Amino acid sequence: MVTDRVSTACLLALLSQFYRPGLVFILLLGLDITSHWFQMYSSFLSGKTSHKDVKHTGNGLLKLYYGYRPFMAFCCVASEVLYIILFLYADAKSTSLLNTCRGILKESPLVVFMFISTLIGWALKQVINVIQMKTAADACVAYDSKRGK
Amino acid sequence: MAQPPAKKTLSVYLYIPNIIGYFRIIINFIAFAECYTNRTLFAILYFFSFFCDGLDGWFARRFNQASTFGAVLDMVTDRVSTACLLALLSQFYSRPGLVFILLLGLDITSHWFQMYSSFLSGKTSHKDVKHTGNGLLKLYYGYRPFMAFCCVASEVLYIILFLYADAKSTSLLNTCRGILKESPLVVFMFISTLIGWALKQVINVIQMKTAADACVAYDSKRGK
Repeated sequence: MVTDRVSTACLLALLSQFYRPGLVFILLLGLDITSHWFQMYSSFLSGKTSHKDVKHTGNGLLKLYYGYRPFMAFCCVASEVLYIILFLYADAKSTSLLNTCRGILKESPLVVFMFISTLIGWALKQVINVIQMKTAADACVAYDSKRGK
Repeated sequence: MAQPPAKKTLSVYLYIPNIIGYFRIIINFIAFAECYTNRTLFAILYFFSFFCDGLDGWFARRFNQASTFGAVLDMVTDRVSTACLLALLSQFYSRPGLVFILLLGLDITSHWFQMYSSFLSGKTSHKDVKHTGNGLLKLYYGYRPFMAFCCVASEVLYIILFLYADAKSTSLLNTCRGILKESPLVVFMFISTLIGWALKQVINVIQMKTAADACVAYDSKRGK
């Protein structure tokens, strides 16, 4: 768990060096740590040890994410592959993220396909991160209620 | 004893310490939005957020509004703001390039392991740890002013390095040499925060080991 989080965080920190606006990657770093930390904490409160063992009766997207492992795998792998694509295409001459993306879209169809599909997976993962923060926060609140606070 | 009047349950999300928590996050967002153009403002806002960190604990106790959500929000805000500051410093100082990325990794790793192992032993705050072994850890967790000194010193050191970062020189050593030529007050602050920071990093490393041991012990107890 820690190796995953730290390697992603370090990669995002690296990307924030290569690209302007660097804040985009710093924001993503914050979102990744925040959502996973909250998720792990709330999993603990409900007595589980893996943040992946979650039953979500509410949100459809979360149900799909946790219920169908290939979907989770796709989103996670896509995110990392997207970051690596952006890392590999970073150009010392142009630090603009938009310019690099435009450049990637002019590449061969295979590269464009990979870029678009990882972009989709990454976007889904970030949406899931945000939803997860909310449900995990709710779980923390519910935990206090159950304890009779 | 008189019955307390039926009270409307205030949503935990609206507890005063948690509102302070949201405020801290907003302050951090603004700070980072301005970090390239106005470094002094960034430093002021960052420290204001740091100050609010102590404030929300006080309010939680004063108004009996301590909550699990609030504790996690607090912890996460600390970790993420430090991580983002370190990511920022890694942009300014490219030689040696990986120092701040390494520190980012160490901070997250040690706190994550510590929190996890605290959970396994049934505690909810990573600061409530009894360490019967290591003397430095005992001091850190037993004497809160020492813990406060180390934590504050680390953040102040990062802000000092942030403020003194120079576009012309990306070498960390050069910047440190430059700081040591400043006024005695600045040099004193730099040296003392360096000491506090160094102690905190040592403690982070020791903590990783003891927390990892706790995870192993947990499995043994469960009879794995």
